[in-house]
Parts: sequence; structure tokens; C-alpha cells
Amino acid sequence: MNDNSIQQKVYTVAELTRSIKRTLEGRAEFNNLWVKGEIFNLTVHSSGHIYFSLRDNDAVISAVFFRHANRNLTFKLKEGMNILALGSITVYEKRGSYQINVSMVKQEGLGELQKRIEMLKQKLAAEGVFSPERKRPIPFLPRRLGIATSPTGAAVQDIIKVALRRYPTIEIIIAPAVVQGVDAPVSIARAIEELNRPEYRIDCIIAGRGGGSFEDLMPFNEEPVVRAVLASRVPVISAVGHQIDHPLSDDAADYAAPTPSAAAEIAVPVKSELVEEIEYLSIRASSALASRLSGLGERLDAIAALRCFRNPREIVAMRELSLVDLEQRMTMALKEGISAGRQRLLSLPDLYRLWKTEARSRRSRLELARGAVDKLSPKGVLRRGYSLVTDARGRVIKTVKTIKSGESIGVMVADGSMGCTVNTVQREVRGGKEIIGKG
Amino acid sequence: MEKKSSAKAKPSFEKALEELEKIAERLEDGSLGLEESIAEFERGTRLARYCREKLDEAERRIEILQKGENGSVEKRAVRVKPDTGEIDDDDDMQGSLL
Repeated sequence: MNDNSIQQKVYTVAELTRSIKRTLEGRAEFNNLWVKGEIFNLTVHSSGHIYFSLRDNDAVISAVFFRHANRNLTFKLKEGMNILALGSITVYEKRGSYQINVSMVKQEGLGELQKRIEMLKQKLAAEGVFSPERKRPIPFLPRRLGIATSPTGAAVQDIIKVALRRYPTIEIIIAPAVVQGVDAPVSIARAIEELNRPEYRIDCIIAGRGGGSFEDLMPFNEEPVVRAVLASRVPVISAVGHQIDHPLSDDAADYAAPTPSAAAEIAVPVKSELVEEIEYLSIRASSALASRLSGLGERLDAIAALRCFRNPREIVAMRELSLVDLEQRMTMALKEGISAGRQRLLSLPDLYRLWKTEARSRRSRLELARGAVDKLSPKGVLRRGYSLVTDARGRVIKTVKTIKSGESIGVMVADGSMGCTVNTVQREVRGGKEIIGKG
Repeated sequence: MEKKSSAKAKPSFEKALEELEKIAERLEDGSLGLEESIAEFERGTRLARYCREKLDEAERRIEILQKGENGSVEKRAVRVKPDTGEIDDDDDMQGSLL
């Protein structure tokens, strides 16, 4: 083949590019069109021109937003932001590229994002990961607090400030994360995972960022963050500053705090209050015991104060008293008995009289008897003329056998006696008398 | 002995504090016998000591995780200004764990 064989027109690069430029820029539908997409590779040049790309899941288009056009912008363009851009397609010949020359930007109706969040939320809810039973209690006193956030943001400062104010000796480990832009979801998720490493001995993780626009908070609506929060072995407090819509990380976390400061207050107790509480309870316990002891002591004192314990002799005294009492009762009883007896005795005069009468009658009988006895006595016999002879020793002489002549004898008659001397003794025998002796 | 005490799970600070509160209440309502009261009081005293120890266990230390040279993550202590919470550090803090 040689050059002559080429029948068709040969363009220079410039000609071709100009031709493309004319074609694209000349088409009515490429003028003043609306396109929607997510901002990335955002560059704000010192000249004031803004360069970025718009993308969706399948394609990318470069965009240029010149200073004269963007100076009326009512909000700041941010990486990851979904926008609607009004513009025309232009071709930049020197780079052989086309882009949209943006004249106006509107934030895309948040509807799209919200729809995405809602879909993710429903998906996760269907898995049951948002159920309240899954929520773990935030430890009352964390040994170590983990923070997953930007190390340079206001959030980390707020958390540290509040935590140190409440608990001056708290230990904190910060896992730095990018909290906005396309990398944020994965970065935050990594930080949460890292803080879960057992060797850090972290009891509570705060994951979050300060307040911002809906888009700013968007990473906390992304699945990686939500999954990392759900997978965390350590309880997580979601701490995303927000006013209206809470991020999905709040639903996934064990506790949802409205701001990073609030999260620090939930995570960290006030040490001085705890010290006070312990002191207060110790005092309550010891004073309760003291009052119990003193109560018992008082009862003991009261018992000890009883007279019997105060003066043991009183026990004896009391016994004595009862003894005396008994005695008295006995005496009384006795006295009563005696008096009753006496009474009975006094009621016996009749008997006495009876007895006197009896005695009298007995005496008279006695006298009668004595009369009879008198008649039988020797004196009565003597009065009838008989005599009683006694020997010298007063013994009645009943026989002459013991009597000798010349012996002194006594002779008793009824009205007196006589001393006599025996002249003769004659013993009477049968048939006659025998003279025994002659005085 | 050491092994035994470590095997026996120590109560959390919160549990210990709750228990201490219950002991104070029981002692206050006066329903316990004297020996029991004294035993409870001794237990309360131990719990209070344990709680105080727990409070003094930690020592302020703020660390930041960093990617080391070999790609491993390392802890590095940082100073902070307690009144602002600002991290007072010379090294570049922009980095993340990514």
C-alpha cells in the first residue's frame, strides 16, 4: 500500500478534534442539560475555578465550574456530594477531552440518598441486627475508652475534654479515621475493628464525628460502618452530631448519643461522684451498724439497769421479802388458827361448867367413898374401942412372938397414944395360954 | 491462693457499688441479727475498698494508633490539653489507619 491508495480524507488531530467539538457542542441536547452524579476528585483551584468529576456506578464525566459561574453557589461543594449540574458539553482541544461546563449546581434531592439509606436499613432490619435485645449495656466504668474518629476534628477534642473533666485518670486510645469522603466508610470501619483487638483491653468505643450536613454524616449511613459497629465485640456508642436524621450507625450501636460530648458523658462516669458515693455508702453502713450496736447497747443498759442487776443483793432481799411475807402469812394463818382454836375454846364454857359439875359430883362421891374408907381405917376401928400396938420402931405388933418382957411398946387409941412397958408375954395356944416370959 | 482469687470473677465496679448500697440498706433496716450485721458490714468495707481501688486503677494515658513502618499498627502516647481536649502532638495527625 502507498499513500495514493488512500482515497479518504486525512484529518489532522486538530481538524478532527475541532470536528468532534463542533459535533458535540453543536448538538442542542448537549446544551444546557441537567446531569446528576456524585462529586469526586474535587479541586478548588486558587484561581477560583472548580474542577471535579461526576460519577455514578457506571461512568464518569469531568466537570469544570468556572469562577464567574460558581460565585453564586449557595453551598460548598464536597467530595462525595450528589449534585444536579446544569451545563453544556464542551471539548477541550488541548487535552482531547470533553467535559461539562457547569453553570449551575443544585444539591440533588436528598431523596436518592435517603432511598439508599432506607433500603440498607430495611435490609439490615430484616437481618434482625437492630433489635433492642442485641444492645449491650455500656460499661459503667470503662478501663479504657476507644475513640474511632478523625484525630484532628472537633469531635475527638470534645470527647477527650469531657472524659478528662469527668474522670481525670481515664485511659484513652484513639484510632484515627477519615470521617468524610469516599474513603470514610472503610476508614471508620477499620478503626472500629482495630479498637476491638483484645490486647488494647478497651471496654467501650465511641465512633463518630462532629455535626455536619447530611452528606457529611453520610459515611455513618454506609454499610461498612454499620457492619463494623454490629460486629464490634466491644460495646459501641455512636456519636454523630446530628439535628434531625440520625445515621444508621445509631441504630446499629449499643448506645446512640446525639453528639460526641454526650457520648463521652455516657461512656465515662464522674470520678468525684463515685468517690463520694462510696464514702456515702460506707458511712451509711458504718452508722447503721453503729446505731444497731448502740440500740442493742441501750437495750442491754436497760436490762442491766433493772434493780436486780444493779444490786444483786436485792435478789436476796426480794427473796427475804417473800420469805418474810411467807412467814407473815404463816404467822397470820397460825394466829388465825389459834384464834379460831381459841374461839372454839371460848365456845367451851359449857363444857367447863359441865366439867365443874362433874368434878363436884365426883368430889361428893369421893367424900362418900372416903367416909366408907374412913370406917375401914384403923382410926375408925380405934374409935370403936380397939387399940393399935406398935413396937419401939413404930411397926404394928401383930404377934407376941417378937415381944419381950420389959420392952417399950406404943399403944394407940382413938384419941391418942401411950408409951407402955411390957410386963408379961403370954402366947395364946389352943386350949390355954402359955406364958413366954416374965418381965 | 492468687490463682484462686483470680479464678473467682471479681465483680464489676457497678456490681460492687450496687452490693455496697444493698448492704447499707440492709444494715439500716435493722432486720439483721448482730453477728449478721457485723459480717455484712465487714463485707461492705471490703467492697468499698475494692471500689476505691478500681477507681485508682487507671492512670491517665492517651494513645493514638498508627501504622508502623512494617505495616503493623502501633500505639503512641500523645499529650493533650485537658481543658480543650486538643491533642498536643508534633507528628502529623492527618493519617488514618488506612
